[in-house]
Amino acid sequence: MAPPSVRAGTLRHRLRRDRLLLLMVLPALVLLLIFNYVPLIGNIVAFQEYDPYIADNAFRAIGQSPWVGFEQFQRMVDDPLFWQSVRNTLAIFLIQLTLFFPIPVLLALFINSFVRHRVRAIAQAILFLPHFFSWVLVVTIFQQMFGGAGLVAQTLRDHGHGGFDLMTNPGLFKFLITFEIIWKDAGWGVIVFLAALAAVSTDLYEAAAMDGANRWRRMWHITLPALRPVVALLLVLQVGNALTVGFEQILLQRTAVGPTSAEVLDTYVWNVGIQNGDFSYAAAVGIIKGVFGLLLVLAANKFAHLLGEQGVYKR
Amino acid sequence: MTPNSSSPSSALSRRGFLASSAFATAGIAGGIPLLTACGGSGSKNEGTTTGENLKDLLPAYVASDLVAADIPSKNGSAAGFTTAVPAGELAVSVPKKLGKGSELTIMAPIYGTSPKQGNPYWTAMDEGAGVSVKWENQEGTTYGQKLGAVLASSSIPDAVVIPGWELMGKIPSAINNKFADLGPYLTGDKVKDYPNLAAIPTAAWQRAVFGGKLRGLPMPGADTPNIAAFYRADLFKERGYEPPGTTKEFYDLCKELNAPKSRVWACGDMTWAAWNFFGVLPEKPYYWRLVDGKLVNRYETDEYLEALAWSRTLYSAGFVHPDAKSESSDIGNLFSSGKVMMYNADLSDWYGKTVVQRVDNPKFAMAAMDYFAHDGGDPTLYTNAPSNMWCFASEKADEKTVVDLLALANFTAAPYGSKEQRLRQFGVEGVHHTLADGVLSKNGTGNNQVFGTYEYLASPAAFLAYPDHPDVVEGMTGWQQRQGAHLTRPLFYGMQIQEPNRYTALNSQFEDLEKDIVRGRKKVGDMKKAVSGWKSSGGDKLRDWYKKLLDETGDSAS
Repeated sequence: MAPPSVRAGTLRHRLRRDRLLLLMVLPALVLLLIFNYVPLIGNIVAFQEYDPYIADNAFRAIGQSPWVGFEQFQRMVDDPLFWQSVRNTLAIFLIQLTLFFPIPVLLALFINSFVRHRVRAIAQAILFLPHFFSWVLVVTIFQQMFGGAGLVAQTLRDHGHGGFDLMTNPGLFKFLITFEIIWKDAGWGVIVFLAALAAVSTDLYEAAAMDGANRWRRMWHITLPALRPVVALLLVLQVGNALTVGFEQILLQRTAVGPTSAEVLDTYVWNVGIQNGDFSYAAAVGIIKGVFGLLLVLAANKFAHLLGEQGVYKR
Repeated sequence: MTPNSSSPSSALSRRGFLASSAFATAGIAGGIPLLTACGGSGSKNEGTTTGENLKDLLPAYVASDLVAADIPSKNGSAAGFTTAVPAGELAVSVPKKLGKGSELTIMAPIYGTSPKQGNPYWTAMDEGAGVSVKWENQEGTTYGQKLGAVLASSSIPDAVVIPGWELMGKIPSAINNKFADLGPYLTGDKVKDYPNLAAIPTAAWQRAVFGGKLRGLPMPGADTPNIAAFYRADLFKERGYEPPGTTKEFYDLCKELNAPKSRVWACGDMTWAAWNFFGVLPEKPYYWRLVDGKLVNRYETDEYLEALAWSRTLYSAGFVHPDAKSESSDIGNLFSSGKVMMYNADLSDWYGKTVVQRVDNPKFAMAAMDYFAHDGGDPTLYTNAPSNMWCFASEKADEKTVVDLLALANFTAAPYGSKEQRLRQFGVEGVHHTLADGVLSKNGTGNNQVFGTYEYLASPAAFLAYPDHPDVVEGMTGWQQRQGAHLTRPLFYGMQIQEPNRYTALNSQFEDLEKDIVRGRKKVGDMKKAVSGWKSSGGDKLRDWYKKLLDETGDSAS
């Protein structure tokens, strides 16, 4: 995490010095290139009326599909379903930012407060575990618990109360999926904060204690400032991902509450492109999403700089 | 332990039966010739094929009568077979092995877990037909998602099975561009090289004509609706309930049956049955009715709205199982376990559920209720399309491969009572099934390996043969014969029609909206709004396109 102490040296010198590290990132770079950058070329179908089947293969079909300019982008303007998915995406992002984002920080502070190593390890294990469940499993567990025929509903019925069905309530859907994410991933999100906390020298705490700072003071003046760069970094990344709000999780539950409250940009692209075969329009929606994502990262980064943090890149 | 059921019931979920978007339906028909292309700059394949041009493509029909059905077809029902003769007395329908040993790759949907390559069932089938098949089976419920990607690649399998409900988006374009014209092998008398294919009814072939060429090998279906409203006959009898005769009676019955406190709900989602109770027009492309010379779409009809409104009352009264509301589990299984008393599904569930349940509960009995008009009396039911699943050969496959595919299809299309059909449906005697005292039953290996896939390549005229549960065959064919008495042919019956590309996304909103309305998330009035939006964004133009088609081709295939 700490910046390199020596920035000097020629490029060649630095390459040689870091060759082992560079070798280690190479596989990741290759994967990134193949799966994230090469497919970008396919975006040109957004300016066509693309039919992947008119030629021998999907690539040659690009050469034979008619060009339509910005027609696909114009369709978006008049498409209420597109705007509905934009609204849902942004609403879910804001809810998750406010409700989910602070939780791993709080949990990290909580875990860090355990003195005994064993208790800490157990608490971490319990919190991490749900991260390794697939979304299918998580949604099923929630359905069994909070669905209309689930544990809570049946217990209520057994005691003479009416039914209860959290899973098909469109009004609460956005909170439901945030709740699911918290259960599944908050423990996992703790890791990076714990690492940051581990880097804080215990000398600082001891010195502060000597000066008479109580627990809260120590947290305020030592722990939180230590977390600040990491929080800023993650916040920027989170904002950059604002338009990507859990494709698989939402697709699995979309039918339970209907598209009005559950259609987000990613599921919309899926339905339009993969289900309806309207590839060009889906690609156009994807491009717009990508462009706005980039703008958001840049804006959030600028904001981080204003706060005196590094963000994802330096000024 | 999913049993081999001859028709893919679970396929009728989401994309399935109510599939909206783009469809291609090619056609057959009445009098006037030719691929009728209507207006605009659409693809060369839009429209339908009719008249002399169609007749010139179709294979000759040579009936096959190996064994007489125990329950002959009536009113468009499937033929029923309730008995099994010993292997020694079976007829031989493929006397000479036609295959020349080609290795074929075939992509087909599978409803269950695909058995391993080289299992005794597949080996015996390949051996019998004289080919070697490399199956590329894909889970049936998500088949469409795989299909689109596979067809976009340059190396598609030698043969691909495509169900009618997957003809959405640009799949029709893929069929016309990627698959071979089988006409040179099958048209006219040429089909006589493959006697079992020659015995497939002509109407089924008519719907296998895509883009002006005979491209598909059809899987024929019965004329009667494939969706049935099932009830637990055993439990109804035990408690003295009768199946309802009006939608009001249905509702009142639900009130009696519903007991959420004991974890029992009256029904699943009943929208598909409601289409039949209210006489709603079928899905694309048979979704038009001629009223005073003007075409009216199913979405514009009163009965469509009434069916939605009625289905909605079942939800709002709390009769529908919560898992049906959230679509989070298989309602058929809840029905089997007695947690739901009525549900609607493909008719094949009758056998599929029964065979599984009777292992532990020999008294298990289900039945399909007779359809009724919502206010009592005879229902208005629309005739089902004569075929709704086809197998296609890749355009890149060489002649030897295509010929061997046809050899295999001829083998799979063998009629009931033949050695080949026994192998196809029940596997190898002693390995997959046993036959003792006239009772044929599949064992565990049979249930795990003998799965529907081969029959999707080509099947004989619709039949139901479950000698292991003769009462089910009687129930199913009896239901079909009673419903068959009320059939009406929809406009454009039997034609395979391809709508212009610009309308492919036009109907895609309706399936979601129907679900929203019946579940109470939207009002019935919202549908009216959506329909007026549909009209202005292309629906009216689509109506003109169909009107022109109607004027040029006539109103039905034959």
